[in-house]
Amino acid sequence: MEMRMRRRLEIAAVLGTLGIFAYAAWTGLVWAPPDREMGDVQRIMYAHVPMVQMMLLSGTINFVCCVVYLFRASWKTDALAEASAETALVFGAIGTTLGAIWGRPTWGVYWAWDPRLTTVAILLVAYAGYMALRRFVDDPERRAVWSAVTGIIIAVDVPIIYFSVKWWKSLHQVQSTPRTVDPQMVYALRWNITAFFLVLIVFLVARYRIALAARLRETTVPEPAPGAQQVVA
Amino acid sequence: MMNALHSVLAAVGEGRIQGGWEYVKAAYAICWTGLALYAVSLWARRPREEPK
Repeated sequence: MEMRMRRRLEIAAVLGTLGIFAYAAWTGLVWAPPDREMGDVQRIMYAHVPMVQMMLLSGTINFVCCVVYLFRASWKTDALAEASAETALVFGAIGTTLGAIWGRPTWGVYWAWDPRLTTVAILLVAYAGYMALRRFVDDPERRAVWSAVTGIIIAVDVPIIYFSVKWWKSLHQVQSTPRTVDPQMVYALRWNITAFFLVLIVFLVARYRIALAARLRETTVPEPAPGAQQVVA
Repeated sequence: MMNALHSVLAAVGEGRIQGGWEYVKAAYAICWTGLALYAVSLWARRPREEPK
C-alpha cells in the first residue's frame, strides 16, 4: 500500500513538472515580448540560461558530495556525486549547444574561444573524464575516493565560469539583472528556471537510485545457497 | 537621409535581427529532444529492485 502511494506521488510529481515545463515554455516562446535588439532569436535565452544554471548547480552538488565523501564515506554520497556529474554533463552539453545556435545570428559564429565558452568546454570535457574514470576503476572504494578528488579539482572551474564574463570582458555578455530587463521577460525566465530546476530534481533522483542500486549490488556479498558447502582456504 | 534614419529606428523597435525563428525552433527541438532522450535512458537503466 505504502509502495503504491509512493508510486502515485512520484507520477504526480513528474506530471506536475511537465505541466510547469509546458507553461514555462509557453511564456518564453509566445507570451514574452521579442527583444529590442535581437528580436525573436532572444527567446533561446529561456532555455539556454536555465540549462547552464542547472549545469552549474549540478557541479556545485557534485563538489559538496565529493568533499563530504572524503570526510565521511557513504555509498549514498558517492551515488549522488555520480548522479550530479552526469546531470552536469547532460545539461551543460545541451545548454552549450543552445548557446552556439543563439551565437550564430547574434555574434555571426557558432563558436568562439571566448573565456566563458572556453571554461564551459573545459568543464564538459572534465566531467566526461570523470564519468570515464568511474567506469574504468573496478574497486568501488578506490573509485569513490579517486572520483571525489577529481570532482573537487573539476569544481574549481565552476566559479571561474560564473565570474568569467566579469573578469574578462569579452564576447559573451555579463549576467542581466531584473532592473534592466522587461518585467515580462523576467517573469518568463523565472518560470523557466523553476521548470528546469524541477526537471533537474527528477533526473537527479532517478539517476541517484540507479547509482545507489549499482553500488549496493557491487558491495553486497551474496548469501550462500542452502546446502552449499563453504570452502576454507 | 531622413528616410534611412526612419527605417533604422523602425528596425530597432522590432529587433535588429529580423526573423530568426528557425534558430529558435532548432534550439528548442534540440533541448526537448535531448532531455527526452536522457529521460528515456534513465527509465531504461532504472533498478528493478528498490535499494534498501
